[in-house]
Amino acid sequence: MNAPAPSILNALSPSDIEDVAERRAVLAEIDASCRNTLLLLFGASLTWLLLGTVFALIASWKMHAPEFLADISWLTFGRVRPFHLNAMVFGFSTQAGIGVTLWLMCRLCRTPLLYGWIVDLAGLFWNLGVAVGLVGILAGHSTGLEWLEIPPYATPLLFVSYALIGMWGILTFRFRRERHLYVSQWYLLASLFWFPGIYSAAQILLIMQPVRGTVQAAVNWWFAHNVLGLWFTPIGLASIYYFIPKVIGKPVYNYSLSVLGFWSLALFYNWNGMHHLVGGPMPAWLITVSIVASVMMTIPVVTVGLNHHLTMWGNFKKLKDSPVLRFMVFGGMSYTVTSLHGVLLALRSVSEVTHFTHSTIAHAHQGMYAFFTMVMFGAMYYIIPRLLKVEWPSAHVIRVHFWCAAIGIMFYLVPLTLGGVLQGLAMNNPDVPFLDPHKYSVVTMTLPYLRMRSYSGFLLAIGHTAFAINFIWILARWVKTLRLPQLATPAPSL
Amino acid sequence: MIILWILFIGSVVVLPGTAILAFGWALRHGEFEHLDKTALSIFDEDEPVGVMTDRFPDSDLHPEPQAMPPASPP
Repeated sequence: MNAPAPSILNALSPSDIEDVAERRAVLAEIDASCRNTLLLLFGASLTWLLLGTVFALIASWKMHAPEFLADISWLTFGRVRPFHLNAMVFGFSTQAGIGVTLWLMCRLCRTPLLYGWIVDLAGLFWNLGVAVGLVGILAGHSTGLEWLEIPPYATPLLFVSYALIGMWGILTFRFRRERHLYVSQWYLLASLFWFPGIYSAAQILLIMQPVRGTVQAAVNWWFAHNVLGLWFTPIGLASIYYFIPKVIGKPVYNYSLSVLGFWSLALFYNWNGMHHLVGGPMPAWLITVSIVASVMMTIPVVTVGLNHHLTMWGNFKKLKDSPVLRFMVFGGMSYTVTSLHGVLLALRSVSEVTHFTHSTIAHAHQGMYAFFTMVMFGAMYYIIPRLLKVEWPSAHVIRVHFWCAAIGIMFYLVPLTLGGVLQGLAMNNPDVPFLDPHKYSVVTMTLPYLRMRSYSGFLLAIGHTAFAINFIWILARWVKTLRLPQLATPAPSL
Repeated sequence: MIILWILFIGSVVVLPGTAILAFGWALRHGEFEHLDKTALSIFDEDEPVGVMTDRFPDSDLHPEPQAMPPASPP
């Protein structure tokens, strides 16, 4: 059953694998080649997830109790909030996304992860860069630019690490043994190219040779919007396109639609971002172009949404049995809702109410958590047992994780979206004061919604802790099987 | 203002331009032929169409055929 050792020379002559035994051996070889790298990436991402959650709770609590930890400089809101954001974006989401990307690329290309130790090294440097950056933020060295707060002295570490990891993803594709591309590969390949492009452009224009004045806002929103749409979204959609059909055992409803969805995203998404500056001192045509592009995004969103939901049609009862499916379907439905919601928010008439309100924060969490994070959780539930050949130790803990995450994020989104709209209406009403503790004012009317957000954060924290417990537990089981092979540990029923 | 034009050209011309180049490559390499076959490429003998490949660990409460992943190499 042992497959020949992977080599670049072998991979230079890719060919379709016809033999069943060889195909099985290749799959086992792929999982074995990815194991250490993915355990490092997933383990580190979960560590940042927990740390980011603690800082999210502190930041959220300060929004309705500003005196909380206010006399400790490194725990003031201006440092805690960017710590949370960057820990989640670069510590958790990016690492989890890279792990899932590498595994999917290897599986779909039928190629092992060649020279995985180089990616391991890149992963270690990535985490070092994130740690240095986050400590820098707590020390007060934040750049002050949203989504780019990590100080300049940490970004070279991130850039070099990503360059290695991204190159490895592309090399895996180059040495593929499966000639035709599945739609997930299109999304993954594109994201591997897009991310360094938008990250470099933002670093050059905002940090290295900073542009001045309102143009900073334009570049900043172009980056912040595109990092979500051209980095996290393609990875999330690639995962859904692979895992939902794979788990339920049914091909995607209409493959042609999936191709249309990808190419329309590639053409329209990167025009977005400027619609966040509606009403700002920017050329009107620039904002209008972005609004038009946002509306055009209806095409990929509807095609992807139709495809996901019609693939699931007739299979919803399987949600009861599969944890991966639960997270994936929740993420897929959230993608449809958040994207259509985003189209609405881009319209001038809507943006005049919702901009500068908590509604925007809710929308960002809808995309990053309800869609992307839930999809990453689902992907990890699928991948990790296959890497370790050990079953998840506790179904109960998985259910706790899912329900806390699902209820928690809904409890976050609904009140904050509603509160944000009411806040916007109050801000546009000259009869409502900005701050008056004795009557209805812009600041005081948001307090109940902000408290609800904090309470929802506790639910999310319980869910994340449950996931971390299951992760450590499955690792412990795996280590046990390695140490005591003579005890004939029962084979996992995966 | 020149930066805005660079951003605009980058977003509207360069990125979609590379997408169009990639689209051309895909056309030349027959990526849009046999789409139904491509949709089936994620399935194989061990995890074929019609078989669920993920369950809760206590899923013996709900018996149903389930795929087994390939065994680990020794």
